[in-house]
Amino acid sequence: MFEALSQSLDPALFWEYRQTLAEGLLRNIAVFLLGAALASAIALGVGLARMSRFRALRAVAVGHTEVFRNVPEYVLLVWLHYVVPILLTKAAGARITFDPFFSAVLALGLAYSGFLAETVRAGILSVPTGHVEAGRALGMPGGVIARRIVAPQAARRMLPEALNQYVSLFKATSFISLIAVEDVMYRVAMVASYEMRPLPLYTGAALIYCVVIITATTTIRLLTDRWRRRGWV
Amino acid sequence: MAEPPRHLLTVRDLRKAFAHHEVLRGLSIEVDRGSVVAVIGASGSGKSTFLRCLNYLEVPSSGEVWVDGVPMGFSLAADGRRQPDPPRELARKRAALGMVFQQFNLWPHLTALQNIVEAPMRVKGTARREAEAEGLALLRKVNLEEKAREYPARLSGGQQQRVAIARALAMQPKLMLFDEATSALDPELTGEVLDVMRGLAGEGMTMIVVTHEIAFARDVADRILFLNDGRIEEDGPAAQVLGAPASEACRRFLARALH
Repeated sequence: MFEALSQSLDPALFWEYRQTLAEGLLRNIAVFLLGAALASAIALGVGLARMSRFRALRAVAVGHTEVFRNVPEYVLLVWLHYVVPILLTKAAGARITFDPFFSAVLALGLAYSGFLAETVRAGILSVPTGHVEAGRALGMPGGVIARRIVAPQAARRMLPEALNQYVSLFKATSFISLIAVEDVMYRVAMVASYEMRPLPLYTGAALIYCVVIITATTTIRLLTDRWRRRGWV
Repeated sequence: MAEPPRHLLTVRDLRKAFAHHEVLRGLSIEVDRGSVVAVIGASGSGKSTFLRCLNYLEVPSSGEVWVDGVPMGFSLAADGRRQPDPPRELARKRAALGMVFQQFNLWPHLTALQNIVEAPMRVKGTARREAEAEGLALLRKVNLEEKAREYPARLSGGQQQRVAIARALAMQPKLMLFDEATSALDPELTGEVLDVMRGLAGEGMTMIVVTHEIAFARDVADRILFLNDGRIEEDGPAAQVLGAPASEACRRFLARALH
């Protein structure tokens, strides 16, 4: 088996298709970046809404978080890409389809907004009330306290957890070939069937993901260790 | 009550209830400029709530607090009618009272100096250069000038509390409130904080000090209030309240506290 594996890691084949594969990887990175931005923006709104004075707003935020934390990313992806356009088509009376790239960003953005909203909320709640009271006692208006006292501390406390969520989000980009986004997995499958040699290419894809993710998590660990040493998180 | 009171601090019939529990049951005091008032009493007697109502961190259920002729929480219109203060106005008034907390409450993401200059810069609009010069002078005053660039996590509890005092002083308050400022400290660190407080009293700062340190109250306070069950049961010079208290509760409290 090891012999088969070592033969299968045929760097020449990889090199031959380097451009196709790199373009695929760029597609993953694009989905990741846009998805992460979307997820973060929604999460910030929903996380703040969960602490709103208004009950209805809190209820909507809780609903959002529960739904998107509990639906598997893959199901959400397929449902958004295939079912939502049909519903919209019926509602609008004109044929609507989603570009796979659009569906991928939307699905992953929504799926991870649920997790991240919890991270945002936990981050804000982790700031001790005493720190807020110290600001109030010094005559700071609410906006100044939110910007200068709560936000920087909450951001630092939520960052390690948020970075882990981003890593999961990047891993989840490996699903998007299932709705025909031409990402690295899609291209690997294409080349594998063309060359009739699945072993080297799928192994290569696994290695690519490993390298990207191990690099990311190592960087995160180094950063958070440094923040901890400074007493920031 | 047409006339604004002439004392630096005037409290009239202050009451505070949480849900159905009445914590403060009608407190009235007048405090002159430059005097140091120690507030003692058992836990749950309402000492902290009293202090927090003075700067409106807690809004009293009823009663009035006047600081240097200015009412907290409301303003008098030209026709003598009372208008509740909008949050920004209340925040501005609150800055006249500096407060020091049991848990220090320094902001951990800012250095000692940044903790001190934050409020003058953001609230008063003081220029950074000026705020930092004043901040360093205040750090010198609490003997921590060399710690200006340190984050709170690198400071001892006593050092953090001294920075917190400097931070409160940076707003040039008319009155300082100390809420059990040494209770969270290891015994060997209380001295350095009490020394700073003693120094402030010596400079003529008006102070209201909620404390368990009976010895400090005796040495520094011009006047001691004994709170019991939300009421002021003793109010007088240290010698009188500590030496010959009229109230039975105060005698019992002192017997426990001093032995």
